[in-house]
Amino acid sequence: MAVVKLNGLSKRYAATAAPAVDNADLTIEDGEFMVFLGPSGCGKSTTLRMIAGLESITGGELTIDGARMNEVPAKDRDIAMVFQSYALYPHMTVFENLAFGLRRRGFDKAEIEQRVTKAAATLGLSEYLDRKPHALSGGQRQRVALGRAIVRNPKVFLLDEPLSNLDAALRVSTRAELIRQHRQLGTTMIYVTHDQIEAMTMGTRICIMNGGRIVQVGKPLEVYENPADTFVARFLGSPGMNLVPSTVIRSGGGYAVKFGGTDLVIPMPDITDDDVILGIRPEDISEDASEGSVSFQGNVDTVEPLGADTLLLFRVAEHDAVLTARVDRSFQAFPGQSVTLHINSPGIRLFDSRTKAALMRTEPEDA
Amino acid sequence: MPHSKAITRALLLIAISLYTAFSAGPFAWTAMLSFRTTSEISKAPYAWPETFRWQKYVEAWTGSNYDTYFVNSMVITVLAVLVTTVVGAMAAHCLARYRFRGNRLIYFIIFSTIIFPPQITIIALFQTLVDYGLYNSRVGLILVYVSVQLPLTVFLLEGFFARLPQDLFDAARMDGYSDAEIFWKITVPIGMPAIVTTVILNTVHIWNEFLYAVVLISDESKRTLPLGIQKFMGDQLEDIGMIATGMMIAVIPIVIVYAIFSEKLIQGMTAGAVK
Repeated sequence: MAVVKLNGLSKRYAATAAPAVDNADLTIEDGEFMVFLGPSGCGKSTTLRMIAGLESITGGELTIDGARMNEVPAKDRDIAMVFQSYALYPHMTVFENLAFGLRRRGFDKAEIEQRVTKAAATLGLSEYLDRKPHALSGGQRQRVALGRAIVRNPKVFLLDEPLSNLDAALRVSTRAELIRQHRQLGTTMIYVTHDQIEAMTMGTRICIMNGGRIVQVGKPLEVYENPADTFVARFLGSPGMNLVPSTVIRSGGGYAVKFGGTDLVIPMPDITDDDVILGIRPEDISEDASEGSVSFQGNVDTVEPLGADTLLLFRVAEHDAVLTARVDRSFQAFPGQSVTLHINSPGIRLFDSRTKAALMRTEPEDA
Repeated sequence: MPHSKAITRALLLIAISLYTAFSAGPFAWTAMLSFRTTSEISKAPYAWPETFRWQKYVEAWTGSNYDTYFVNSMVITVLAVLVTTVVGAMAAHCLARYRFRGNRLIYFIIFSTIIFPPQITIIALFQTLVDYGLYNSRVGLILVYVSVQLPLTVFLLEGFFARLPQDLFDAARMDGYSDAEIFWKITVPIGMPAIVTTVILNTVHIWNEFLYAVVLISDESKRTLPLGIQKFMGDQLEDIGMIATGMMIAVIPIVIVYAIFSEKLIQGMTAGAVK
């Protein structure tokens, strides 16, 4: 059990290059399941490897339970890590893989036996203990990798995209297994992924990174509903938030933004710039009118039935972009058709057209 | 379609049989010669032995000092291969796994020594061994063999080790193992097919090596098997029968080593070719 704190943590590979991780400030609470989420190359794995001690820290400080870790070797940090490739030792049996770290730490034979047996039973690996990794399925290998971390009973678990090599069905069940393990162990877990569904479903909080910087930290739904900027708005959600350049106009005593020939009247703080980016989640655009919704006309571009619902790709007057709506699967439309859609106004977000930062969002919790 | 398949198969079989005869033929012929006397061979070089003269092996072993040559070859080969393998594997591990300034330069320098033919280096080696009192000594010859075989060993092993996933080494570090322990517990066992490959190649090369041995060893009691075979080659007469017997004695250990490790050798050669 541990609190992991990143104080201005940075990683620069060469003096002239842009930092891979730039001044990251974050506190991961005891027992928390923190998910680092971001696109490839955003610095999430590098941050994880710095916490693990596999990558040197070139700036800032890392503490675990208040103790500075910058110079502490990986083996002395009491951290276990599950790798994307599982990194199982191919020449050892499952038992030996699980026991390898314990042997080095001087546990006696009986203790090793007991811990390995217990972890194997928890993960359903008891009957595979004599097998070598090449004789296991992907899911079983993944469980061995997790078991290797569990047997050590570390202060912190680090998981680097551990589900990315599994097929879709196995990924869902293993995700649930990981959540269950976290609940049982109650240990601090830091999980790296580029898959937002994993982030949304598993994380106590998520930390979204882009270009080596932490962009936003918060509970999954908070971040989803109140993205800090256009990057988070686009990145989180599948499909991401519709972003449309728009103009603010004064309407009565308040403000409105122009959209598809309609003025969307919305509450907003005083703004200095009239040019804004309007953000609307696909699920906030509906084929049915509701109380307070605003209607507009769209021209259907493509219809993508997903089974559970349907994605409607459409264009609106005055805007070049193709926008997306998530409509009921029973909704019938065809390309070129003009349809009336409705925006659920509480779902509207505004972003500064220059800084791309949110203009209208609830205050995020402190990192 | 099955008809053309059978023809293809037959052609393939013929080609393989011809190749096998081409490569194994000289070995089989030498084996036949080793049981015959030189006068018998002169009369009919390709004939099957009328009598299998096993006593020729006893004669070569006892009467021609082959026991000494054999022991010398064995000691020198085993020690040289052992040192080459350990030092080569460690060097290859470092070059493949650690990022440090000059890594590729060191690799290039080591590898570039492969291009020099032995005739170029032998005079310098001779003088160096004389200066250090290692001329005409088994230790001197072992050191020369180590230095000669090391570049190819490092080259082969570095290529194999570099393909091992870094995650394995990171996992071992997280499990608490030191760099040296990781080498012995992870790199060596996983890299065993490649290591065995270099062991076989080095064993064959050192066991058969003649040039360095003939220049750097002068004492009869320190000679190796290839030098022993040379004894049967006189200025006027060559005892073909005894040369063949000597060659068979020399080659049998290599055949045994190959038979034992051939599976690992193939694994090492084809590693990375298939998933």
